[in-house]
Amino acid sequence: MEKFDKTFPSKSFSWPPDKEWAIAGVVGSGNLEVLFERNTESPNTMECHVESSIPGYEDSWLAALEDFAANYPAGGTKVTIHDQGAAPIVVTFRLRQAYDHLLQKIS
Amino acid sequence: MNTSNPNDLLARFFGESGKTLLVKDSLITGYAQVLTQNVAVIGTCDGTYIDNAAALRLASLVIDCIENHPQMPIVMLVDSAGQEPSRTCEMLGLASFFGHLLSCLQLARQNGHKLITIATGKAIGGAFICYGMFGDRIEALDSASVGLMPIEAMSAVTKIPAATLTALSKTMPALEFGAEPFALLGGVDEVWSADVNVPEKLAAVISSSTQEDHRAELGKKRGGRKWAFDVQNRVLAESAK
Amino acid sequence: MKRASLYHEQTARKRIASLVDPGSFTELLPPPERVVSPYLPLLDIPVSFDDGLVIGRATLGGKPVYLAAQVGQFVGGSVGEVHSAKLTGILKAAARDAIPCLLLVESGGVRLHEGSSGEIGISEAMRAVFECRAKGVPTIAVIGADIGAYGGMGILVTCCDFRIMTEHGRLGISGPIVIEKWMGKQAYDSSNRALVWKTSGGKTKYLLNDADVLTHDDSASVGAAIGELLSKSQPITLGGLKTRQQELEKRLGDFGKTSDPEEIWKAFGIADIGEASLASGPEFVALAKRKTP
Repeated sequence: MEKFDKTFPSKSFSWPPDKEWAIAGVVGSGNLEVLFERNTESPNTMECHVESSIPGYEDSWLAALEDFAANYPAGGTKVTIHDQGAAPIVVTFRLRQAYDHLLQKIS
Repeated sequence: MNTSNPNDLLARFFGESGKTLLVKDSLITGYAQVLTQNVAVIGTCDGTYIDNAAALRLASLVIDCIENHPQMPIVMLVDSAGQEPSRTCEMLGLASFFGHLLSCLQLARQNGHKLITIATGKAIGGAFICYGMFGDRIEALDSASVGLMPIEAMSAVTKIPAATLTALSKTMPALEFGAEPFALLGGVDEVWSADVNVPEKLAAVISSSTQEDHRAELGKKRGGRKWAFDVQNRVLAESAK
Repeated sequence: MKRASLYHEQTARKRIASLVDPGSFTELLPPPERVVSPYLPLLDIPVSFDDGLVIGRATLGGKPVYLAAQVGQFVGGSVGEVHSAKLTGILKAAARDAIPCLLLVESGGVRLHEGSSGEIGISEAMRAVFECRAKGVPTIAVIGADIGAYGGMGILVTCCDFRIMTEHGRLGISGPIVIEKWMGKQAYDSSNRALVWKTSGGKTKYLLNDADVLTHDDSASVGAAIGELLSKSQPITLGGLKTRQQELEKRLGDFGKTSDPEEIWKAFGIADIGEASLASGPEFVALAKRKTP
């Protein structure tokens, strides 16, 4: 297992009043789960914690997360990931899926 | 005394009254006495595999006991290697036969019959869960092989090296196979050593047993299953809000 | 136009969302509480925030329910210490509050990685199912995922008041690979999907009265079936047990000598095996003549 933390600057996310968290994905082969939680202490950063069963892809992870933080207002969130070998495209998809849950676009 | 011989085992538990029990196709059914108390007895021996017909025979005795012997304690002896893993057994719905046996034991419990289990030999997986683990109190002889499956089998299925599992089992009794580690997890109340006076022990358990399932609390107290009790209670607390 | 996803394709969370009244689901011990497996990290296996079981409370057609949905993709939906404790807890809550409990099952049984702790945990959950039954609180199991309900979970669902299956679901104890190992590939080929499903699938279980309902593989149908059963329960009575004993003895007598599920299908009035094999759940029900006692 590889674990790492990184915080990225990001435009402040406007948390819906009734949401404290959102989750997407499942921990299975080639998949991951992503949890977004409210972080009131730091409205301009996206704080990430990744645990992956496939070591050696830290650069790839950091690139995907940095990309997300740059493209979406995700400041004031804490992102925790449990990964079991998802490809980068799946990582990005799950981040967006969890984010859409936050925005209550999908139930 | 050789407790792997069913007749010796029954003599050890029930004295002369053990002779009235029917031992057929590695199943034990009938009525006997523990000291002076009348009990119903269902069980397995010879490390047999339990199939559909066996489940029905055990269920039949439980139904008879409910119908004809109100509140008589039911003693469950376990020496079975598992459920019969054959195609016909599965097709015919072995899971449902086990559910039926468990439902019979549940009605017995609801009607005030005490359910007392003693693992005497093998007490493994589905064979244990379909009746023995349903007891109000679950005891085991120290010679009993109690557990889910040996590490070699776990390793074959999970593809985790046996050496890894064995090393981990030193600090994780859930992986260890045997009556003692199972007791640490709360799955067995007490392990009885070879010199124990079985009828006296059994009579005491029958007398003192209660119906609530205290295995999670026991597992926490003994340290073998540290989280189950707290998580159950947390669910109960959060759902009460 | 996007096709609505089938029940067997949905994730546990999607199944819940599709079944309950919109916005009515409150998750208990939700992901932020991080009630995860203490054992999997020791084996270098990633944990899941819900340990493969999503539990909570919701309403279905306005009626309150407790629910537990298993996540089949997480270690095969298998049951470890935390997972089983969540399951036992929600069943005990159902018994306490006299609120029906719905189990969306997708599990191979005990999580081997956690050894006996999952085994004892499933036994505790069984006791909790019966706690509900003793109080007349309905327990309903839905078995509609490809993984099915096997091992200890297979036995547990047979303890519930009702079982709803789809043609995708399977119900058993020993899985196909175990049977093949035991009997040899000649006697049972675990890669033969048609055989596996005819042996343990919803259609055969429905004929044998081990499944109470056989529905379409979609949430609307599953939800409708649940709705019908929410106000019912099956108290355990001596008469009921004797009837079931006779039914099971007759089943053994009628089919105990065969290992061919098609014999069962024919005995229940299925004339065209091919047609019945391709039929959906409700189509199969219409083709068969099942007699319930």
